[in-house]
Amino acid sequence: VGKQAELFQGTLDLLILKAVSLGALHGYGILLRIQQISKDRLEIQQGSLYPALYRLEHQGFIASEWGESDNKRKAKYYRLTPAGRRQLQESARTWNEMTDIIAGILGTKPEEV
Amino acid sequence: MKFVASLRSWIISVLRRSRVERDMDEELRFHIEQYAGDLVRAGMSAADARRRAHVEFGAIEARKDECREAIGLRLADEVTGDVRYAFRQLRRAPAFAAIAVLTMALGIGATTTLFSVTYGVLLNPLPWPEADRLVRLTESRAGHDPRVRGTISNGPYIAWHARGSTIEAIGGWLNGAVTGSIAGGEAARFRIASVTPTLFTVLKARPLVGRLFADDDVPPNSGVASRRLIILSFGLWQERFGGGPDAIGRILQIDGKPTTVVGVMPREFAFPDRETRAWLPFTVPSVRGDVGVTRITIFQALARLRPGVTPEQASAEGTARARAAPDPGLAARAMFGSDGPAEIRAVPAIDQMTADVMPALMVLLAAVILLLVTATANVASLQLARATTRHREIAIRAAIGAGASRLTRQLVVESSILGVLGGAGGLGLAAALDRALPSVLPADFPRVEAIRMDVRVLLFAVGVSMVVSVGCGLLPAVQARRVHLVESLSDDGSAPVGGGLRSRTARTRAFIMTGQLAISCMLLVGAALLTRSFVALLRADRGYDPTNVLTAQIPLPDGFPIERRTAMLEALAGRLRAVPGVRDVAYGNALPLLTVGGYAAFKMRPPSNPDTEVQVDAIERGVSPGYFAALGLHLAAGRTFNDADTATSPMVVIVNRSFAARYLGATPIGAVIPHLGMCRGDDDRWEVVGVVGDVHQGSVADPVQPELFLPFRQIGCPAAVAQPILVVRTAADPLPLVGVLRGVFHQQEPALALDSVMTMEDRVMTTLAKPRLYAVVLVGFGAFALVIAGVGLFGMLSYNVAQRAREIGVRTALGAQPLDIAALVFRQVAVIGVVGIGVGLAMSFIVTSALASVLYGVAPHDAASFAAAPLILAAIAGLSCVAPIRRAARMDPLKALR
Repeated sequence: VGKQAELFQGTLDLLILKAVSLGALHGYGILLRIQQISKDRLEIQQGSLYPALYRLEHQGFIASEWGESDNKRKAKYYRLTPAGRRQLQESARTWNEMTDIIAGILGTKPEEV
Repeated sequence: MKFVASLRSWIISVLRRSRVERDMDEELRFHIEQYAGDLVRAGMSAADARRRAHVEFGAIEARKDECREAIGLRLADEVTGDVRYAFRQLRRAPAFAAIAVLTMALGIGATTTLFSVTYGVLLNPLPWPEADRLVRLTESRAGHDPRVRGTISNGPYIAWHARGSTIEAIGGWLNGAVTGSIAGGEAARFRIASVTPTLFTVLKARPLVGRLFADDDVPPNSGVASRRLIILSFGLWQERFGGGPDAIGRILQIDGKPTTVVGVMPREFAFPDRETRAWLPFTVPSVRGDVGVTRITIFQALARLRPGVTPEQASAEGTARARAAPDPGLAARAMFGSDGPAEIRAVPAIDQMTADVMPALMVLLAAVILLLVTATANVASLQLARATTRHREIAIRAAIGAGASRLTRQLVVESSILGVLGGAGGLGLAAALDRALPSVLPADFPRVEAIRMDVRVLLFAVGVSMVVSVGCGLLPAVQARRVHLVESLSDDGSAPVGGGLRSRTARTRAFIMTGQLAISCMLLVGAALLTRSFVALLRADRGYDPTNVLTAQIPLPDGFPIERRTAMLEALAGRLRAVPGVRDVAYGNALPLLTVGGYAAFKMRPPSNPDTEVQVDAIERGVSPGYFAALGLHLAAGRTFNDADTATSPMVVIVNRSFAARYLGATPIGAVIPHLGMCRGDDDRWEVVGVVGDVHQGSVADPVQPELFLPFRQIGCPAAVAQPILVVRTAADPLPLVGVLRGVFHQQEPALALDSVMTMEDRVMTTLAKPRLYAVVLVGFGAFALVIAGVGLFGMLSYNVAQRAREIGVRTALGAQPLDIAALVFRQVAVIGVVGIGVGLAMSFIVTSALASVLYGVAPHDAASFAAAPLILAAIAGLSCVAPIRRAARMDPLKALR
């Protein structure tokens, strides 16, 4: 557990959008997918996933629908809406810009100042 | 976009509240079970897996709350909870809730009604296209207004009509009444207006059926139509022709003359008022007639301004045109009391119509706002008292985690509920009052039909309710923010010793109470002033005695022979005198409050100063010998007319005091007046045989005019008396004799109809309907303010006594006598009362000057009114403290201290 990275504030939304952009998923599935694509390097507080899902749906970025899970149980599936897709692109762009800037700052050597 | 999506999602969630919960439950359970399943598959035991899954998920309820908050349900849930809680609280205090809601409903209802009246009458545009460009025209000559208010004479009208650069069109009209019937049908009397063809142009009115009058319907200068034409109102058309289009071209008998229907106006066309049922053509006669006589006529006129022109510019042009018009010379004196240069005043039509009621409406509006303030203060004070007794409840809520904003919201929700209930009640009250208004408002109240409960009134009521709820919920809310946990929870509900006014709440309530007394005082002073003014109007010496007098008008058809007229009236008087209960019967051509008679303007040499010729302007009328006795006029000198004054005897005249004082000097009897109208020769010599007291022909507030009375039988022409009036003085209440009068008249003159049968007292009361209404309304406001002030004071004192029970117990145990305890309570009333009434009187003194224009016979700073209001208030304050004082004085120290 100790070696897993903590999430930055607000990045959970971005990860959820990315996860559902690859196909409709239920809440637990989203959790698994994030862990899978991060190769278990990220840990997400399980409970904190749902308020984020509710908020994103409330904002119209994702939509939900009841469906059947692999083991034939009723589950609520989330998918990305067109607004969510735009939001994902926008957020990803901002994120990349930000990490660039921060990486640049962190890589600065004394003689460059 | 995002906002719209959120709003949609929020509305759906709120509406499908239980489904949201179910889904949430299921979704979270699915997650945990799924995870537990995965753990089992990884080799964990089922029980351990479930425990582990639950632990890793975290507190489910807290997560759910976060989810609800994420979709905005939490606020909705809390407010729903607040509303439920508030209803429970109000149900637990039904007396408080009832008083609060009732006070608010009355305050809001009264304010809304007055707003709807003020808005409808003063601000709603007149019902004509672009009505803001309509101006009423009034002519004056050297500052003298015309004999009939708001009129213009023919000279200026014609001059301006011929060419006008500031106005698009000008139209004139005269109000009147006619007797009309379809051939063979029953005759009825109804009101008409004789209008110039241009008047419809000014109003931009179109006929519903047929056509309007054309310029050539009336030949110029004659004033008489070659062919008689009439336009019907929608109502008359329905009534007489059943709304059929074949009415056009049909013949009506109007005043006995065949008259052709040319058009019908739409239902909403009401000009000059709702009572006008038809329109006849009217041509304004020119000043220089065909045979060289000078003619002057006064009538009402309306003009439409060109776009962008101000009434002042139109007035300037009108005045210039009037001065270029042919001079009517001396004739102007008869109509204006002066033959000085003419001046035309153009006033926005709506202002002219409402000028009469505007000051009173403003006064009532100010009064109702004061009333609303005191009603709101009353509810605020009640809320405050409740907030204090609910101290513990609030403290407990604070202790288990309610934040200040949460507590404030709770109180705001509570007062909003009161506000909504009060507002709904007020709106209901206003709607009921609005429906009753046409019958409550006096007949001569302008624009009653413009008063409507429309969206604006509705919005106003909602706005007022909101302001009131916030106003009365704010104080307790502010108070609640200051909750001191430890103090409140250890509080046992008693006030600190010696502290009638030590606590902040008690001080605030005392302050509010003082304000309520001050407002009540102002309203009472106003009510007293208006009431005294009304009584002064009622009791004013009008110069005649209106009690036990029955009056009527007898409209005669054109060309009714003059000899028959006198004979008919004499015969009628003879028959009526024989009726038991009748004292005097008289007739004439003038009756106060109904018809003035004629005007005379001539030159004469006054007996006191025969060297100079003076100009005389007087009202002139013909009366039968019994007229003075029947109306109760005071004979000041000489004699009244008698049966010896006939058409062949020497001509005699009676003058009023004003005439005698102005023109005849010290010895009026025997003076000779040279020329009078009434169709006698130019060389007439009328001898003054009597002087009677002055009579107020209209309102007692108007100045008295010089008057001449001529014997009815000495009047030379029929035109002067087209509608004689009848005066019957009775021994007792004249109302039972109305039937007898009608019967006797019908028996004698089956072809004629009596008009305007009314007791003289009713005529007087009709003119006083408006002042009476204003006084009644203000007295109602004053009484309401007084009641809530009294109840408020009682409530506050009772509450204080209860709060101070322990202190009173201690004082009594230490030897205080009942009188000392009574003084303790009384001191509080005395301070509040003296300060409240003092402030109220001072405020009244400042604001009552604004009442001057609506008062008659009473000064705005009338001592009696300023004395009565404090006395009434002091009495109410005294009354309201009796029970609390008694309770305090009789308090058993043992019980109080237990």
